[in-house]
Amino acid sequence: MDFSDILASSIHDIKNSLGLILSSVDELVGNPDNKIADVRQASLLQHEAQRANNNLIQLLTLYKIGNQQLAVRIAEHNLDDFLEEIVASNSALCASLDVQLSYGCEPDLNGYFDADLIRSVLDSTIGNAHRYAKTQILVSAAEEDGYLVIRVEDDGGGFPDSLSGLLERMAKKPQGSRAAGRTQLGLFFATSIAELHENNGKRGRIQLRNGHSLPGGCFELWLP
Amino acid sequence: MTNDFSDKSVLIVDDFADMRSAIRHLLRSLGVSKLEQARDGQDAISHLARKSFDVVLCDYNLGPGKDGQQVLEEARHRQLIGVNTIFIMITAENAREMVMSAIEYSPDSYLAKPFTKELLRTRLTKLFAAKANLSKVNKALVAKDYAAAIAELDRLIAAKPKNLSELIRTKTDILLTAKRYEEAKKIFEEVLDARDLPWARLGLGKVYFWQKKYPLAQEIFEHLVGLDTNMTAAYDWLAKTQTALKQFAEAEKTLQSAARLSPRSLPRQQLLGELALTNGNTHDAELAFGRAVSLAKHSVLNHPSLFADLAKSKSANGKHAEALKVVADIGKTFAAEKEAELYAATATAAVKKGQGDAEGAAAALKTAEETLSQLSAAGHSARVTLEMAKTYAQLGEQEKASKLIQEAIANNHDEDELLMEVVQVCHHADLDYDAETAIREIQQAVIKTNNEGVRLIKQGEFDAAIQLLSGAADDMPGNKTINLNAAKAIIMKMEKLGATADDINAVRHLVERVKGLDPNDWRLGDVVSRLRQLASPSS
Repeated sequence: MDFSDILASSIHDIKNSLGLILSSVDELVGNPDNKIADVRQASLLQHEAQRANNNLIQLLTLYKIGNQQLAVRIAEHNLDDFLEEIVASNSALCASLDVQLSYGCEPDLNGYFDADLIRSVLDSTIGNAHRYAKTQILVSAAEEDGYLVIRVEDDGGGFPDSLSGLLERMAKKPQGSRAAGRTQLGLFFATSIAELHENNGKRGRIQLRNGHSLPGGCFELWLP
Repeated sequence: MTNDFSDKSVLIVDDFADMRSAIRHLLRSLGVSKLEQARDGQDAISHLARKSFDVVLCDYNLGPGKDGQQVLEEARHRQLIGVNTIFIMITAENAREMVMSAIEYSPDSYLAKPFTKELLRTRLTKLFAAKANLSKVNKALVAKDYAAAIAELDRLIAAKPKNLSELIRTKTDILLTAKRYEEAKKIFEEVLDARDLPWARLGLGKVYFWQKKYPLAQEIFEHLVGLDTNMTAAYDWLAKTQTALKQFAEAEKTLQSAARLSPRSLPRQQLLGELALTNGNTHDAELAFGRAVSLAKHSVLNHPSLFADLAKSKSANGKHAEALKVVADIGKTFAAEKEAELYAATATAAVKKGQGDAEGAAAALKTAEETLSQLSAAGHSARVTLEMAKTYAQLGEQEKASKLIQEAIANNHDEDELLMEVVQVCHHADLDYDAETAIREIQQAVIKTNNEGVRLIKQGEFDAAIQLLSGAADDMPGNKTINLNAAKAIIMKMEKLGATADDINAVRHLVERVKGLDPNDWRLGDVVSRLRQLASPSS
C-alpha cells in the first residue's frame, strides 16, 4: 500500500467524522432554543467544516483522476431541478452567514454532464463565494454559443486581476502558481472536472470574470 | 408541491448509531413522525417484511453482512417493497463506482453523505411527485400490462414535461421488455440523431441482439467499450453477443474486463466462471466461482449451482479434498432443499470421477437421478435439466445426456439464452449430439403447429385449433410458448362465442402451468387480463 492509498482511506474516515460534525452543527444552528451566546461562532464552525469537507471531496476526486479510476457519467439533467438541489444543500449555511443564495434558469433547460462531479465543483465554488459576498450569491444557467454555462456570482469585491489572467497557466500545475493559496486547489479541481466533459470535439472549461449581473466575482463553467 | 411529510413512514438503515440519530433528527425537523430504524441489513429486511414504508433511507455500507445493495435486491426480489416505496441509497464518495455498477436493481435515488435538511426536503418532495406522476404507469407494469403502461407514458410525454427524456427512456425500457423491438429502435435512432448518448446506443445494440443481428450488435458494443472503458453494461452485452457468435474465448476476456471494473456483481462472476470452465481455464473459473460464492453469502440470489461449479473447478485443478468441502457446504447452506441435494450429488459425481473413484461417482449419479425424478413431479427449471445432462456427459453416459438435452430444447425452443447455453454445454462436453440441428428442427415443428393453429382460428374452426394446440401443450408441458398459445386459442374462442366454465378452467390450468415454470413470463399479463374479463360476471 503506498502513501497516497493510505491518504485516500484516511480521507474517507475524516469525511465521516466531518459529516457527523456537520449534521450536529446544522441542528444546533437550526434550533431556535439553543443556548449558544454567539450564534456566529456556530455558523463559522459550520462554514469551515463544510469547506474542509468540500476540500476532501476534491482531493479524493483528484486522486481518482490521477489513478484513472474516475469514470465520468454524463447524463441529461434538468438545470432547474439540479440548481434547486444545489441551493437547497447550501442554503442553510448561507442563511446563517446572512448571505442570500438564489438561482435562476429557464425551467426547461437541460444539459449533459456528470451531476456528482459538477455538484462538487459548484458546492466548493459557493463555499468560496461566501467569503467575498456582501449580501447575495446567485447561481444561474443558460445556453450560450452551443455550451451550457453555469455561473456562480457574488456581490463582493470581485476577483483580483492577477487571478483571472493566471487561470490558464496554473490550471495544469497548481503548485507552481503564486495565486492565493486557498483557491488554488479549487480552481485546479474545477478545471480538471470541466475538461473531463467532452462532446463533438469541444471541451469544457472554466472562466473567471467580474461584474456579470452582480457587481462582484463571477465563476463560469462552460460545458459542451 | 406539498412539503408535508407528516403522514409518511420512513425506515432508516445505518450500522452507525450516531448516524441513525442524526438522520432521525433531520427527518423529525421535516415533520416526519412515523420513524423506524434498523441497524444492519438483516434487521432492515425484518422491518420490511413486517410492514410497508413510504421511504427507505439506507446506507450502502452496513458493516459485516448484507450491504445496502443486497438489502434492496432482497426487498425487491421477495417483493417486500412495492413500486410505491421510495428507496434512497445513501453513499460515501467511494461507493460511487460500486453502486453505479448495480444495474439489476437500482434505487429510486442516491444521496451522498453528508446532506443537509433542505436537500433532503427538496429530494423527497421531487420523488413523491415523480411517484405520483408515474403511478398509473407503475400500476400497469405490476399487472404486466405493457400496452397500458406505454399508452399512459405516451400521454405524459405528449405534455412535454421537464423530465421528458427520462420518460422516453422509461418507455424504451418497457418496449424492450414487451419485445416491441422495432418501436424501441425507432426511438433510439431519433435520440441518437440529436446527440450521441451512450444509453441510446446501448439500447440500439440490445435491439440488434434480440433481433439476432449479432454482428451489428457487436459493432455497437465494441464502439461503446472503446468510447468509455468504464461502461460495464457495454462489456456485459458485448460478452453476451460474443457468446451468441460462439466466440467463447473473446467473451471470457470481455467479461474479465467487466469483472475487474466492477467485481461485486454476482451474475457477472457466475457467467465468467461458466465461460472460463467451458474454455478450459479452470484456474480462472475457480477464482470467479470463489468470488461468486462469497458475494452470494448474504444475497437472496444465492444458489447451490454456485457451490457445485466452485467444487467442479477446484476438482479440475486437482484440489479434490477442498472440492468435497465445498460440496458439504451446500447441505449446510441450503438445508432440506431438493434442488440443492441434486447439485450436491452432481458435484460429488464430478469430483469422484476426477479422483478416479468410479464407484463413488456412479453412486452419486444414482442419488442425482433419484432426486431429479422427485423434482420432476413438482416441475423443475431447465437449468436443473442441463446440470444433469452435463453430469451424464462427464461420466460418459452419452445417450442419457442427449435425451435430457433434447428435452431441454423441446421445452424452451424460443428461449434464446437457454439455447445458447445448450450449445455451449454440448461444445464443452464434446457430446456427440448436434444441438444446433436439433434446435432448428424442433423450432420448425413448433412453428408449423402454430401456423396451422392460427389458420384454423382464422377459418373459425376453433375446436380443431384448440385440439391441435392443446395436444401439443400436453406433449410439451414444460414449453411456455406452446401452453400460452393453447390458452390464447381457447380465449379467442370464448371472446367470439361466449365463455363457458369448462373453457375458463382449461385456460386456468394452462396459465398455472406457465406460472409454475416462470411466474414472471412477460406474456402472462395479457392472457390473465383477457381471462379475467371473460370470467367476470358483468361481461
